[in-house]
Amino acid sequence: MRRVMSRVSVMAVVAVSILGAGNFNAQAEKDRKALEVYMLKKFENPLKNRNAYFPYATDDELKNNIQPVKKVEDFRLGSYAFNKGGLEQYNELNEMPPYEDAIDEGEELYNKKFKNGKSLKSCFPNPEIAGDYPKFDDKKGEVVTITSAINDCLVANGEKPWNMKKGKIAKVEAYFASKSKEAGKKVNIQINSKAAAEAYERGKKEYYTQRGYLQLSCANCHVQGAGQRVRKEYLSPLIGHTTHFPVYRLKWQGLGTLERRLGGCEKNQGEKPHKPNSKWDKELLYFMAYMSNGLPVDGPDIRK
Amino acid sequence: MKNVKKVIAVMALSAFAGSGLYAGNAESLAKEAMKLDVKKVCDVKANGLDKVLAVAEKYNPAAVKLGVEFKRLGITNSVYIKGLKEAVKKKEKKVTLKYKKKGKVKSKTFPTDYATWRACTFAVRALQLHEEGKKTWRLAVPGDGYKF
Repeated sequence: MRRVMSRVSVMAVVAVSILGAGNFNAQAEKDRKALEVYMLKKFENPLKNRNAYFPYATDDELKNNIQPVKKVEDFRLGSYAFNKGGLEQYNELNEMPPYEDAIDEGEELYNKKFKNGKSLKSCFPNPEIAGDYPKFDDKKGEVVTITSAINDCLVANGEKPWNMKKGKIAKVEAYFASKSKEAGKKVNIQINSKAAAEAYERGKKEYYTQRGYLQLSCANCHVQGAGQRVRKEYLSPLIGHTTHFPVYRLKWQGLGTLERRLGGCEKNQGEKPHKPNSKWDKELLYFMAYMSNGLPVDGPDIRK
Repeated sequence: MKNVKKVIAVMALSAFAGSGLYAGNAESLAKEAMKLDVKKVCDVKANGLDKVLAVAEKYNPAAVKLGVEFKRLGITNSVYIKGLKEAVKKKEKKVTLKYKKKGKVKSKTFPTDYATWRACTFAVRALQLHEEGKKTWRLAVPGDGYKF
């Protein structure tokens, strides 16, 4: 009887640990689904939802420009998911995408040999990885973004790290994103350990915390504020934010990484931006990317 | 040998102590800042430039340490404080702040009393916001504190 009991308890411990092992993303899934419900509710009928979500919008905007969004996948387009006029301009710009040369240059950089004979290809044999980052590296105990992973590869092979905001790194990321998009890859962020779940939670907390002299959180603009206007631009929703990077921004007149965009947002909040390779930046991106889990990789892309 | 180890340990500790704030200290300064009335402590007319600048100098390093330092139009609060130290000492009416923007050195000139008020409010408010954020952030999370 004792043997049977001890076997049962061992099996119970194993079962609990197996179930627990697959459950580190439980809170993140709950957050993601709640965000989806919120965004779909908000955009299902903007005219009807005026009082709840679009108090400053004009009749003309709500009838003719802010379109209903029926599917979560549409949010991969950012504000163009609902902004009819913006979508027309976006489609025109995409007839001759200004990032195409960057994809080719990115491929060259990906295959270019380092001094030791290896290349980025040695570190990333499969370039269809844009949807898999950021990852939590349990050995290092930290989040690794696609940008930091490229630089880690360079440094490990005796090369100098690249600027994390633009230039070569953005070109290689454009190549990765393009290959991932062609292969029909989706955003697939994993949370497989307690430490990873804690990093996600810290990122989430920072996203929703008000900061800077303007006392704005990221969510002020991209959750509660999504769909509202700042001057003539519509604020994009958090869902889909990370799916299309790197982007060619008209403001930049060039390609930039997510880290570059994040720095811009922090400046707009009235705070000294964190460094692109900081724990803060990487954990924030980990949270943001998780919120787009399941959406197709859609980069590189164009934004204003 | 033991003495050498002791000396090294003392040197390491003094270097650590002299290297500025550590996170725990910054957090306790943030808690302390919550007790301040920013309008009163940063009132230049009532307290004088020296005292108000001293408040900024005391609290802003904690904001830097916690990664919540304020920055406006390209100028961090550290730049305000650095420029003001000299101007207040020399009793200058205006202060010219030099800062870097996109790799280029730029400058802007402000009335000294106005810049001192700003440095003080930015330092204190950054820490107060940091503390307030610990209680308020969940209120904006759909599915958590944010009801819709």
